[in-house]
Amino acid sequence: MARIIASPAVNRRALLGGLAGMAGAGPVFAQPRGEQLLVVMWGAQWIEVCRPIGEEWMRATGDRIQWELHAGGAMAVVGRLRPLWPRVPQNLIAAWDPVFAAMMEAGWMEPVSETEMPALREIPDAFFKKDAQGRKMTVPLSTAGAFWGYRTDLVTGPPIESIEQLLEPRFRGKLCVPVPVNLSGLLLVSLAMQRGGNERNIEPGWQFLKQLAERGQIGRVVANNSEMINAMSAGDLSVAFWNTGGWQAVRDRFPCRLLTRLPDNKGFLFNEGFAVMKGENANRVAAAKRFANHFATAPINTRYNMPLGSGPTNINSTPAPAIADIFYKPDELERFAYIPDYAYMSSQVDAWTRRWETEITPLVRRG
Amino acid sequence: MKRGIHLWLLAPGLLLLAMLMGGPVALLALESLKPFIPGSMRPGEGWTLAHYRELLQPAYLVYFWETFRIGLIVSTLSLLLGAPLAFAAVRSPRAAVRKGLLALLVGLLVMSLIARLYAIEMAWGSLGPLAPLGALLGFAPRHPRYAEVLVGIGLLHFTLPVVALMLVGTFRALSPRLEEAAASLGATRSDAVVSILLPLAAPGLVSAFLVALAMCISNFVAPLVLGRGVVVFTTSLMYTRFADIGNYPSGAAIGITMLILAFLVVYGLSALARRLVPR
Repeated sequence: MARIIASPAVNRRALLGGLAGMAGAGPVFAQPRGEQLLVVMWGAQWIEVCRPIGEEWMRATGDRIQWELHAGGAMAVVGRLRPLWPRVPQNLIAAWDPVFAAMMEAGWMEPVSETEMPALREIPDAFFKKDAQGRKMTVPLSTAGAFWGYRTDLVTGPPIESIEQLLEPRFRGKLCVPVPVNLSGLLLVSLAMQRGGNERNIEPGWQFLKQLAERGQIGRVVANNSEMINAMSAGDLSVAFWNTGGWQAVRDRFPCRLLTRLPDNKGFLFNEGFAVMKGENANRVAAAKRFANHFATAPINTRYNMPLGSGPTNINSTPAPAIADIFYKPDELERFAYIPDYAYMSSQVDAWTRRWETEITPLVRRG
Repeated sequence: MKRGIHLWLLAPGLLLLAMLMGGPVALLALESLKPFIPGSMRPGEGWTLAHYRELLQPAYLVYFWETFRIGLIVSTLSLLLGAPLAFAAVRSPRAAVRKGLLALLVGLLVMSLIARLYAIEMAWGSLGPLAPLGALLGFAPRHPRYAEVLVGIGLLHFTLPVVALMLVGTFRALSPRLEEAAASLGATRSDAVVSILLPLAAPGLVSAFLVALAMCISNFVAPLVLGRGVVVFTTSLMYTRFADIGNYPSGAAIGITMLILAFLVVYGLSALARRLVPR
């Protein structure tokens, strides 16, 4: 994993008061000395927006933030930490629902509370992942989604109104799709739902996927945000299934239409945020919570989500105008959106990956 | 007694070797025999050969075959292109050519592989200016199998400078007087190269080929960046298991299988080379 190290500047006292006032959480900043924190974040525009926020935090608090980038999907970090646990250096890990489920199952996450992290009071209770005792375990920062979409400048003929159309000859070699380890198999769930299935009845999805692969519709299989953004920017692929962050980057450069309101399918919603990792050093865990709390405050939550094309979780944050067409109004949720059982999906990723390797990749390779 | 002293003198080195090389491989072998519990971060109890049995499925045999097939093709190309380059870098009568070639090879070696791979994607990718040339190899640039061409070019960038620089040493060790002696006895230049130079250089050529093969079959980044998700080497399968789904036992089984196959191929090719070119 790439690590980006930044050093704190010397004028921390001058900025301490200002930043504390802005965040409205003065007492938590009154630390005699800074802590070294290792924070795992996604690359692409995620790290771009986080780096300046982290630098301001370091100047204000004296904490030293070292960024580590996810390599591939966020689930990868779980596999990487497993042999190291409990001696892991990471203090905060940016992740999403299925990864939170896996880390909670492993007992790696520190509970969070409004007492230590006042900004959590401004986040709706439904966004938090909770343990068996009902304790909040995550710091939700974004409501994001995964959707089919296409570049309108590259798709000729009638617009896509159903993903059944993706079997048409005009989409031969034009589809960009993720492997099952990415988005924890949401592609398969989407295809399954098109044919009457869901995450627990995934077989219709495999059959649809085989049809797409056999007809040579799949032109590229991607494993992370950067690959998706590059693939959809190159101009030889026109349709993709990916998350809002990747789509936002593509939408910034090319005209795109996200298929968020399909009459015969659903879009997927999930929360992204921070997991505070357990650790022996109580001061460091407390510093990690302060830093995560900073991201949850309304101004920073607004700033964080704006370039990601995702919805802020703090009720006092301002959503980006550009995402109005992506996210659903309350009355649209049931009709167009679906929140699958991510914990179940994370338990199936191993089996789905094997099936992808043995049944789908050979078909895609044939073209 | 003397033999005993030699063994004691060797002991620290052997111990270090065992710790650095043998230890991790032994742990990998043990890990490959553990059961995996899907969705759990905790290892299973007991021992199993299931992860090895799974690799006998035809689909997985294809991954091994593809890895070695592309590796063998690229290693052969590296040798065919690297040998003339190395020969020219050693024997060219013009000093500027010799120095220029060596600088080019060293320059390629130190240049970031990632930068080179993305440059290949831009130049030879579906919409790149060189895509029509790549298509001459039989696949349309948008066809998924065209990714094999891209991966091959990427691996060639990786192996060619290493092979050529290895052969520079081989050709330098051969005296030019041998060719002159052959010429004085009436041999043409091509006869001298084929019947004198190549047999003498054979051990170096075989070594360079095997190093190139090892570099290819263990490569991870070229298939990842250029493979479009359809050219999947065994390294990618291992990475997915270790990093993405935390299935360490299965990843370890692929690693151990690959190690054994690589040993067999290297041993087989070395034996073949010894038989074809006796010293």
